[in-house]
Amino acid sequence: MTDQPWETWIRQECDPREAFAEPEALDDLLVLDVSQESVAGMICTSFLAELGAEVIKVEPPGGDPARAWGPPGFTHQGEGLAYLAEGRNKYCVTLNLEVAEGREAFRQLARRADAVVEAYRPGQMDAWGIGYRQLSTENPRLIYVAISAHGQYGPRAAEAMREHDLTSQAASGLTFITGEPENDDAGPLGVPTKAGPWLAGYAGGAWAAFGLLGALHHRHETGRGQMVDVTPAEGLMRYLEYTLLWYHVDGRIRERIGYYDLAVFPYTFVRVKDGWAFIAGYTDPNFRALCRIMDRPDLTEDPRFSSTSARVRPENERVLREEIEIWSMLYTSEEILEKVMADPGPGVVIFGRVETPVEVLSRENWWERACFQRISDPVYGDLTLQMPVWRMTGTPPRIRWACRPPGYHNTYVYQKYFAWSPNHLATLRSQGVI
Amino acid sequence: MPAESYFDWTANLFDLARISGKPEALKGIRVLDLSLIIFGPATADYLGEMGAEVIRVEMPGGGDVMRIVAPEGQFWKNVSPAFFAQNHSKYHVAIDLHKPQGQDLIRQLAAKSDVLVENYRGGTLERKWGIGYRQLREINPRLIYVANTGFGQWGPFIRRASYDGLAQAVSGFTAVSGFPGRPPLKMGIYIGDYFGACLSALGVLAALHYRDRTGRGQFLEVAQCEALLRAMDWTWVYAGLTGKNRSQHGNRDPSVSPSGIYACRDGFVALVAGSDEEFRGLCRAMGRDVLLADPRFATRAARAEESHAEALDSQIASWVRGMTRLEAEAVARKYGFAAAAVATAKDHYEDPHLRARGSVWEMEDPVYGKMVEHGPAPKLSGTPLRYKWAAKPVGFHNQYVLGRILGLSPDRIEELERQRVIGRWADRKGPKPPDDWTPGQGEIR
Repeated sequence: MTDQPWETWIRQECDPREAFAEPEALDDLLVLDVSQESVAGMICTSFLAELGAEVIKVEPPGGDPARAWGPPGFTHQGEGLAYLAEGRNKYCVTLNLEVAEGREAFRQLARRADAVVEAYRPGQMDAWGIGYRQLSTENPRLIYVAISAHGQYGPRAAEAMREHDLTSQAASGLTFITGEPENDDAGPLGVPTKAGPWLAGYAGGAWAAFGLLGALHHRHETGRGQMVDVTPAEGLMRYLEYTLLWYHVDGRIRERIGYYDLAVFPYTFVRVKDGWAFIAGYTDPNFRALCRIMDRPDLTEDPRFSSTSARVRPENERVLREEIEIWSMLYTSEEILEKVMADPGPGVVIFGRVETPVEVLSRENWWERACFQRISDPVYGDLTLQMPVWRMTGTPPRIRWACRPPGYHNTYVYQKYFAWSPNHLATLRSQGVI
Repeated sequence: MPAESYFDWTANLFDLARISGKPEALKGIRVLDLSLIIFGPATADYLGEMGAEVIRVEMPGGGDVMRIVAPEGQFWKNVSPAFFAQNHSKYHVAIDLHKPQGQDLIRQLAAKSDVLVENYRGGTLERKWGIGYRQLREINPRLIYVANTGFGQWGPFIRRASYDGLAQAVSGFTAVSGFPGRPPLKMGIYIGDYFGACLSALGVLAALHYRDRTGRGQFLEVAQCEALLRAMDWTWVYAGLTGKNRSQHGNRDPSVSPSGIYACRDGFVALVAGSDEEFRGLCRAMGRDVLLADPRFATRAARAEESHAEALDSQIASWVRGMTRLEAEAVARKYGFAAAAVATAKDHYEDPHLRARGSVWEMEDPVYGKMVEHGPAPKLSGTPLRYKWAAKPVGFHNQYVLGRILGLSPDRIEELERQRVIGRWADRKGPKPPDDWTPGQGEIR
């Protein structure tokens, strides 16, 4: 049973390259994704689609405006890059919800669906007669996920502000505590700073999928569906650890402190000969290991650094980081990593270069782990995509295709669910229904 | 008869006051939490918010090191305030995993659990203590075993230790964030831990759905670095097509313009007016209709060009500077574009909207008293997520877990204590209760 080393065995059991031979966790589910201009909506249904759900992306005839998103002035075969990255496994149909026939078709699909994911301003779907209120009467098993800036209830729910990742990051509280403090060094750039990627969108999408799957388990036990209300801002907010408790207990407003840390040190960025790197050794044994590697035994004796609590005093963090940097700037990150890995212990130093995306893509580790794959897509050509994150022995996730243009699956989906012929589709198209 | 307005209906449907009367989505699911620090306990915590019964196992005496990892080294009621955020509503038991009898207790608990969470280096539980996945699935084939690590269970990097900060660095997340020419941006929270834990919890629920259909458990893992890789949207597609690195854009979202974070009289506000409609609204609000005729800003694509975006940026910055954050938000509402104050802890604490939604969650814990924290993120109408109590000292629920869940007799439990297989808190800050705690207070009888 345990003859093979764990590492060997688990790699075989979870080999992403063998995923297609295994069952899929969610392949009994039909999910209708009508989210528009929503990173969180896109991400939520990407996760579900990776895990096997049949996700039908329902877009207006002109397509989801989110398809234009990506680096400015750069598209690939008419598509912005965001959707190329996150269109995975989704069936794409067009349907005009602004006309009665479109809404009726959606209503019929929703009767058969397990879940709906939408990101319209709160009340829009309800006004169209296809909100949770209406759909649940015809399909009590439906799980209806609504994503928005302020949520479906509460004093601000009716504000109708469009949700954006940037405003969600700001509202979450994370932005206020991230960035360089206002000082001479940073000048006008000492401001609250956003994460580069769409972090609120990914957090919101993850929580939306989590909420949906929790509701699904409840439905398994009881037969009942329900509504799931998610805002990306609150999604990130949940990650803010003790930020609110601190204020409650002490009236302390947590501030941004650049690359220092409130609770653990060293745990920071330092310059190295060839750029920047992250370095940490905050427990006593780990700090001693760092001092050993740096050949600075004096630092362990120094009362400013000789205990975990001393090390997190702001004035001591400044000095200690500079002391580490005197050493780290003498070496490349490769050289330091070698020293770190060669140290016999006790204690361990955590170290890694701040890598650019191109550098990351050159690291064999991520390709062996199948975090990336170069997919040859019949529509969009060769694409480098980030792969699903979970490794599972029973139901590994997978990417079947990268992305499809709007309406690509009209013929298939409408034939399958409505027995609409291509001729009928042509009529509907001319009427602006699809 | 007119239908109830949408917002009256939602207010009713999600009414916070009625949560206690509503069932929990993961009722009957038991999670055995063997993990430490953040990236592990948070996964178990999120499942607990959904209603799972979470048993938190720590070493007797000191317990989880997170109990003493405190902001500015300051404790609150004898524990780090940082310990609470990923340890709600758990049943705390302290078992010495180094002892064969301790390992046996774990096996007994695993036999009765649905999910096990651990974040040790790959293979540790199997090799050191005989309680890894390969052993436990023999006892309980329905077990869903989730392992969270920095670099994963296999692969060239698994010998490297990892923290969230390292994950930010090696994933490229740091390199695509912040302002060009400045030192690396360190996220204000351990994003690799919390977001990674969230993805892990999501994976568990997918596995649970499969088990609902088939009766089969499985093993799954999430690597923290890979969680951040996954979250970098179009970075990889771009690098693959161009061979280039995504640039740092500071506080602008490059895919939508105008967008940015601007200083106000009383703080900062984020503003986005990306669609043509929102942009028109912004121009009217600024009293600068002339911008509508400017070809640099005529379309989404034109506005997104670097130099055009920068030109807009400086106009907006000078316009916003004279306003308060609330005024900026009000103007945005009036003219139909997006603005959000860069919120502080105080803003959240005083926000009636967040309180009405349970995103600012106030509760009275029997040991720690009144606490206010950020509440569960997804709001479910039928089975709302909730916190029941705060984290507890080491081994606080030993009697309950071993007596009620494992069915051990009081004599047997005493014997295990004498043999130091189980234990309670050491008498020092971190593992021990508050100074004003009286024995019995908050305990489950």
